[in-house]
Amino acid sequence: MLLMENMRMAFHAIRANKMRSFLTMLGIVIGIGSVISIVSIGDTMRGLFSDLYKDVGLTQAYVSIGYWVDDIRMSDYFTMEDLEDIKAAFGDEIAYIDSDMQTSSEVQAGRTKMSFNFQGIDYLYQEVQPVNVIYGRYLNEGDILGRKKNVVMEARSAERLFGTEDAVGRTFRTTIYGYTDEYTVVGVYKKEMNAFQALFMGGSSDKGSAFIPWTILTWPNDNFYYCHLFAAEGTDMTDFMNRLLLYIGKKKGRSASDFFTQTAVEQMGSVDSVMGALSTAVGGIAAISLLVGGIGIMNIMLVSVTERTREIGIRKALGARTRDVLIQFLTESAILSAFGGIIGVVLAVGLVTAGGLALGLPVVIKPGVILLAVSFSALVGIFFGIYPASKAAKADPIDALRYE
Amino acid sequence: MLGRKKLPSFITENVTSDLIRLENLVKIYDTGAIKVLGLKKINLTIKRGEFVAIMGHSGSGKSTLMNILGCLDRPTLGHYYLDGIDTEGLSSDELSAVRNLKIGFVFQSFNLISRTSAQKNVELPMTYARIPKKHRSARALELLDCVGLSARASHMPNELSGGQRQRVAIARALANEPPLILADEPTGNLDTAASIEIMEIFSELHEAGATVVVVTHEENIAAFTKRIIRFSDGQIISDEINPTPTERSGVVHTKGLYKNKNAGEEGTACC
Repeated sequence: MLLMENMRMAFHAIRANKMRSFLTMLGIVIGIGSVISIVSIGDTMRGLFSDLYKDVGLTQAYVSIGYWVDDIRMSDYFTMEDLEDIKAAFGDEIAYIDSDMQTSSEVQAGRTKMSFNFQGIDYLYQEVQPVNVIYGRYLNEGDILGRKKNVVMEARSAERLFGTEDAVGRTFRTTIYGYTDEYTVVGVYKKEMNAFQALFMGGSSDKGSAFIPWTILTWPNDNFYYCHLFAAEGTDMTDFMNRLLLYIGKKKGRSASDFFTQTAVEQMGSVDSVMGALSTAVGGIAAISLLVGGIGIMNIMLVSVTERTREIGIRKALGARTRDVLIQFLTESAILSAFGGIIGVVLAVGLVTAGGLALGLPVVIKPGVILLAVSFSALVGIFFGIYPASKAAKADPIDALRYE
Repeated sequence: MLGRKKLPSFITENVTSDLIRLENLVKIYDTGAIKVLGLKKINLTIKRGEFVAIMGHSGSGKSTLMNILGCLDRPTLGHYYLDGIDTEGLSSDELSAVRNLKIGFVFQSFNLISRTSAQKNVELPMTYARIPKKHRSARALELLDCVGLSARASHMPNELSGGQRQRVAIARALANEPPLILADEPTGNLDTAASIEIMEIFSELHEAGATVVVVTHEENIAAFTKRIIRFSDGQIISDEINPTPTERSGVVHTKGLYKNKNAGEEGTACC
């Protein structure tokens, strides 16, 4: 019953001194605002990276001979037979394997010339890195085994090269590894990417891109540096990589530690740790700003208590008990602070959402964080309100009534 | 939960006819270097329903007595019984409860809470008595109507004249129907017309059965009361019945502010 009355009185007092209340809240606004912003940015980044790695493939890995190895032999490179053996040895554990070969070359179709990036893939690539084939078909087993000069082209590249996205059956000439040939478009695909993915996955717009059979890029010498694979979904990558390296080491007559590996999981871990460090640093700054904000609230509450000494005297004369006055002022400082927290939350959510809209990124703002921030700011208010409120509560009614 | 604590149990209907009894009351102010004797062994009884003026020049001890009667201050020695309660040994919160339920204050400087409407000011003692909001606002409006300010319920104190402010203060003093109305120089900041108006309200309260104690230094104000106690130098120098209290002009119609429930009299209530 009195709680509502106290809250009403607190709002009343805050409204009576709008400017002063606002300035007092500013510290809390900044503190809570920065906490919410940074936590939301962190969560958003984490979400983006996890989406990115989901797209990249969480089980994706590369193996190559270590760059630190001095006596690199021809046999340290991978061959198609090696990959077949690895696939056979690990069976279902490997979802996809290739040599990760890519090449850039000039392409000509009619009078149009442009630079293209060709990625050599196996036909199973569609299963680990699905794209949306909008015209024609994806590369098939026959294209791969027969080293057919067929390509699946990205839609915008097709548009630029042929003037239409539906480029199925169209041909172009290009030179790969010194051999100039005519290639046929058998399919056109589209890949939707947000700004962040485009940034990280190299959506460089001035270059065309297309998939070609990886067998074209390894031929004629059939030796390559990387073994690039996707393990089956849900594989424990640490254990899998250990076993894979043992197998490869044995096969190549080397120690497992002579090989260099890179997995998506490791990279994601490093992103997480960077985010964690960033959050800690900003959290510290926010804590300091909340402390400063809290002291600001204590200061203004002390001023308020002094200004309202006479009011306190009147209330006491009319029957307010020590606790009634204490709670009145504690409520006021808690509401002042929580109000600052709410403004901070609104500002931060607005800012982060606007930023997300501007960059075309999906923003992650957790309601739990908001609730926690507002409750915490109220707690700050209560904590820093204790001293001024107890000063008010202890006031002697006679002295307080005499106060001018 | 906070605010749900039951009020102290000593506040009960009393049995004696003495509302105020002071026994050998002494107040010493200890300023550190010197001790000042504020009140020297005061013995005084005020019965239920009396209309009393306490007079004296400044420094006579009348304000000290006022503070003690109002339970704002404690005597150094002696006993103060209010409505049968020995106020000695009560904690400050218990004294708050006594002030809340037993005493209605009217001050010289009105002491309304600024930027708070007349109605909210009147509600205040009821708030601290934990009376539900619905009853509070109904009672506050009723009291304001009784002092002729029903149209001003939502006005802030600074939008009211001095006389109006003092009437709000009287309405507030009556909120919890206390047995004692304690007025400290209630007309000190008012012009003659408003002063007469206020004193006539007190007269009417007295006629309705309230015990009213007015502290003043003005003879014409004291003339409204029926008993005049004069103070000087911390002592009572005279205590006389006023044989010819100023008659009410009948201009003020407060429609009956006060129900004297303790005396069981029929209060002319507007309630």
